[in-house]
Amino acid sequence: MSSYGYYIAIILVYASVDAMACMGLNLEFGVAGISNFGYIIFQSAGAYAAAILSMPNAASSNGGFQKYVLGWHLPWPFPWIGAAIAGGLLALPFVFIVGKRLRGDFAAVGLLVSAVLLNVLVKNYVPFLNGDAGISLVPAPFQSHFNPQSLSYQFAYGAVAIILTIGVYFLVQRVTESPYGRSLRAMRDNDIVADSLGKDLRKQRTSILILGGMIAGLSGAILVEFITLWAPGAWGYAETIVLFAAIIIGGAGNHKGAILGAILVPVGFEEITRYLPPLGNPELVPALEWVSIGLLIVLFLWFRPDGILPERRRILSGNKNAPPPAPSAADDESDALIKIGDLQKLNFRELLRLGEPVNDHRVILSTNALTKTFNTVTVVSDVTIAIHQGKLTGMIGPNGAGKSTTLAMLAGTLPSTSGQIFYEGKDITSMSSDKRALAGIVRTFQLASEFKKLTVLENLVCAIPNQSGDTFFGSLRGKRYWGAEDRDNIERAKEVLEGFGLSQYADAYAGGLSGGQRRLVEIMRALLAEPKVLLLDEPMAGVHPNLAHKIGDQLTKLCEGGMTIVMVEHELSIMDAFCDPVIVLAEGRVLAQGTMSELRQKEEVVEAYLVG
Amino acid sequence: MSVELSKKGQVLTATGLAAGYDGRAIVSDIDIEATPGKVISIVGPNGSGKSTLLKSLVGVVRVLDGTVKVGDTVITNTPSEEVAKIGVGYVPQIDDVFPPLSVKENLEIGGYLLARHEIRGRIDAVLEFFPKLKAMMSRKAGKLSGGERKMLAMGRVLMLSPSVLVLDEPTANLAPIVATQLLEEYIRGFADFGSTVLLVEQRAKAALRISDWTYVLGGGRVVLDGAPDDLAQNPIFIESFLGGGAATHAPKD
Amino acid sequence: MSSLGFGLISAAVLAIATVGFTMQFAVTNVLNLAYGSIMINSAFVSYYVNQHGVTAWVALVGGVLTGAIASWLLNRFVYTPFQRRNLAPITVVIVSLGIDLMGTFGLQAIVGGGFVSFTQNQGSEYHFAGLLLSSLQLIIIGICAAVLVGVHGLLKYTRLGKAMRATSANRSLARNSGIKTNYIISTTWLISGALCGLAGTVFAMNAGVFEATSAQLYIVLLLAAMFLGGPGEPYGAMFGAITIGVATEVSAAYINPDYKDVIAFVVLIAMLMFRPFGIFGSEKTN
Repeated sequence: MSSYGYYIAIILVYASVDAMACMGLNLEFGVAGISNFGYIIFQSAGAYAAAILSMPNAASSNGGFQKYVLGWHLPWPFPWIGAAIAGGLLALPFVFIVGKRLRGDFAAVGLLVSAVLLNVLVKNYVPFLNGDAGISLVPAPFQSHFNPQSLSYQFAYGAVAIILTIGVYFLVQRVTESPYGRSLRAMRDNDIVADSLGKDLRKQRTSILILGGMIAGLSGAILVEFITLWAPGAWGYAETIVLFAAIIIGGAGNHKGAILGAILVPVGFEEITRYLPPLGNPELVPALEWVSIGLLIVLFLWFRPDGILPERRRILSGNKNAPPPAPSAADDESDALIKIGDLQKLNFRELLRLGEPVNDHRVILSTNALTKTFNTVTVVSDVTIAIHQGKLTGMIGPNGAGKSTTLAMLAGTLPSTSGQIFYEGKDITSMSSDKRALAGIVRTFQLASEFKKLTVLENLVCAIPNQSGDTFFGSLRGKRYWGAEDRDNIERAKEVLEGFGLSQYADAYAGGLSGGQRRLVEIMRALLAEPKVLLLDEPMAGVHPNLAHKIGDQLTKLCEGGMTIVMVEHELSIMDAFCDPVIVLAEGRVLAQGTMSELRQKEEVVEAYLVG
Repeated sequence: MSVELSKKGQVLTATGLAAGYDGRAIVSDIDIEATPGKVISIVGPNGSGKSTLLKSLVGVVRVLDGTVKVGDTVITNTPSEEVAKIGVGYVPQIDDVFPPLSVKENLEIGGYLLARHEIRGRIDAVLEFFPKLKAMMSRKAGKLSGGERKMLAMGRVLMLSPSVLVLDEPTANLAPIVATQLLEEYIRGFADFGSTVLLVEQRAKAALRISDWTYVLGGGRVVLDGAPDDLAQNPIFIESFLGGGAATHAPKD
Repeated sequence: MSSLGFGLISAAVLAIATVGFTMQFAVTNVLNLAYGSIMINSAFVSYYVNQHGVTAWVALVGGVLTGAIASWLLNRFVYTPFQRRNLAPITVVIVSLGIDLMGTFGLQAIVGGGFVSFTQNQGSEYHFAGLLLSSLQLIIIGICAAVLVGVHGLLKYTRLGKAMRATSANRSLARNSGIKTNYIISTTWLISGALCGLAGTVFAMNAGVFEATSAQLYIVLLLAAMFLGGPGEPYGAMFGAITIGVATEVSAAYINPDYKDVIAFVVLIAMLMFRPFGIFGSEKTN
């Protein structure tokens, strides 16, 4: 009987270790969208750290048959704490790969290669961690007081591992379900847009890589002090793929799914193969295991890409019971006829936390000889403009005139090749786009840019700046810290949604809306980012003219209240009705500027753009 | 000009056409006809669906309803490589050349469907029409100026001696003087040689100058059509550009 | 100086492999991380043909065919369907990793874990400009050089090659020009797959002994060479491969040979961090 007991204890430990590692990876990949193909090295860092912190000095112990650094002989729990720290520290250098706006798959390759590189180095440089042979005789915690081989010790170990795993679950859940987690998921769905709303991508990715690394490190420590040895063979890059398989099968973005995946894939496979009779050549069974993992990845991604337990949709509106209306084909057809709610009722001043109207029409945003060159082609050249506070400035010009590029440079989405940008008297040319957003320059995008796997309400709430739960440490402090404020924010967002007449979609995934509805979500989201200067890139495209005019009225009101708006738009009737002044761009240069009626008098404008 | 640039034109017609993305129509109820020897232009405010309409004619965007014909051949939803074979030359508004290929290679790709021995002769013919390109045959297309690039884009299409030319805003982002030359000299020239020219143009005034018939698009439908001289006088025409009700716009493609 | 000789062979093999890899990326935008597994499968097919009494150089044809057919199938039945769903590029990369596991370990399940080697003569040794090379090595270098010249000729002077470049530059416009791009893409996968099979076989010949997992880390060298020259650029791939190939082998003469691949890793990571579009490449306009 006791052999079963040992067996169960062993499984408990393995399951905890794998579940913990999967949750850490799920936080990185499923929640924050970082494809960390080198994840296994973080677990390994923890395992090695725990080993060398708990082992005695290499020269003095075991006749010095293995070489390693440190050897501090620390009592439990210090090796485990050290392991978590090691996993976290290892994340730092990788920030340079994932922090940049590198294609997701390229960054993943960088991480994969780093994992292989570290394995090669550790394997071949013996004095560091005993090279290829690995480290053995890692002491179990309290082994001088208890017998690690006893059944009760093994069960106790398993119990501690499970408690820690549960702790990790609550930790990752706490981060994921906080406003910070919302920002992480926004970054996962569309990082450039998240950046334009003031999310610091590098900071977000760093924090998650560190936290994920710490969790991986801890899991490594639990494993190594149980099995008492650790060698490069145990952490080949392919082990990361096993963890990815677990998450994809369990359900990326869902931590329960990650636990399920951990039980099914790494644990399940290991245990099933234990019972297979020896067949054919000795490599056959492990080889078939790898083949099955590869096959499962491909099959799941094809047939059930969301996994067994898909990510849960977050119901923020409070209507837990009512399933949201899935936008149907009928919605698509009637898109042009979207009814807008009663915008008049909205108290924007209150909702958007606008200050007292100061409308002195001073210059708030200006450029000096702004130029953008892609390779050798100059798209925007020498654009010098001044945007006045409280005005709704229009920007028109033929296709390819450089309007969107200019807007992108104002918002910081694209760096300028030369020239300067000034905002409230300060040179912001080199300020990053997320900092500009926080300073009050918020933009929208011409192409669909909703966060697809966030609900409409989440899309809106996540744009609100300075949320106390929208920092890493804020999220750790829990709902008691940020809950009340978040409820207020949700109420604000609901009111705006109501005003725009989209309340019934509050809990629907934004990716499922029709084109016109997504446009509105984007405008609402930008407003909730509390901009001082709002940069709109063709906001009315795909919006019914009646609705467009209603939105235009509201934009005018906002300007009267002190907001400054720059709007790129093709629809001249909108320009006519709402924009003053209008800047005409052609071939990357400013052609003219003035009211529409003034512009109509100008030959060169008419020639470049109008019917003439 | 001595060389034959294009084959005898054929009639291009679209009847009851609806087209768009993901099953959603951007343009609908379109009836247009382009005849040989004529420049037929389509104008309308941005976002009115002009580009989508052209793309649906040449097999780039899916036709949801209606028929497209060249002569007697039905080409509704024919893959665009087949449309090229049938004799419809399409010049898109952007991404109209192969940037990493040289000018010569771009023209050769234009003549991909020709027999090897015909290509050289066709290149000479195209160069006679666009003599400026002669000096830059080995230059990469990505390094050309806007006007040169557009000439190359049209030259590429002319390699197959198309009977119908479909041009999407050829003058976009060109200096006014180059644009005028392109429209009045070259594009009008194609029609005068007898080919069928269907043109989407943003510079409505310039388009009217060289057109024989003009369709005005608004909100994905033809709101008006007529001879240029009549249209120029028509208040609805002006209205549809400068604002008012009819000219709504569809999502940009 | 002998290290330079080794460098030349590694570089030649790597160049063939990288050109194939980068061509796949150029026409379909897929980082085919299963490339290494197709290489080693091809090598084993050549090996089995060789074991049936056929000269290794003839058996090589079997490897080339295996690579071509396997790559074509992979693109046709896996990558293309996945790409039609408009997924993030990372999904297809994860799929390719799954395929890599299936390819490598499926082979291992069949052939077992033992090392094998071709039945073939190393041939006599030649001193050449201060380098010491066996005739086997010279033939490998010769084959690789000939193939590279062939690829150059294909891309630069043939109708097919130009159509391949046009398709990779602008697929929609290529179709407007009458090019059947699906056919061109299939053909590209056949040709690049043949290069993959060839590279796998000569890699195995050059290694002397090999087993199912021997090419598992080769993908790192490939990636390093590709990113050095610029992703999707066949000429960049040749440059990158020669640089990486020679640099790793020459460095092996001065540092511990176990670390020779470290140079490739470092190059790759540095390129990703600072110039992901390659040394000669330029940033794309949006």
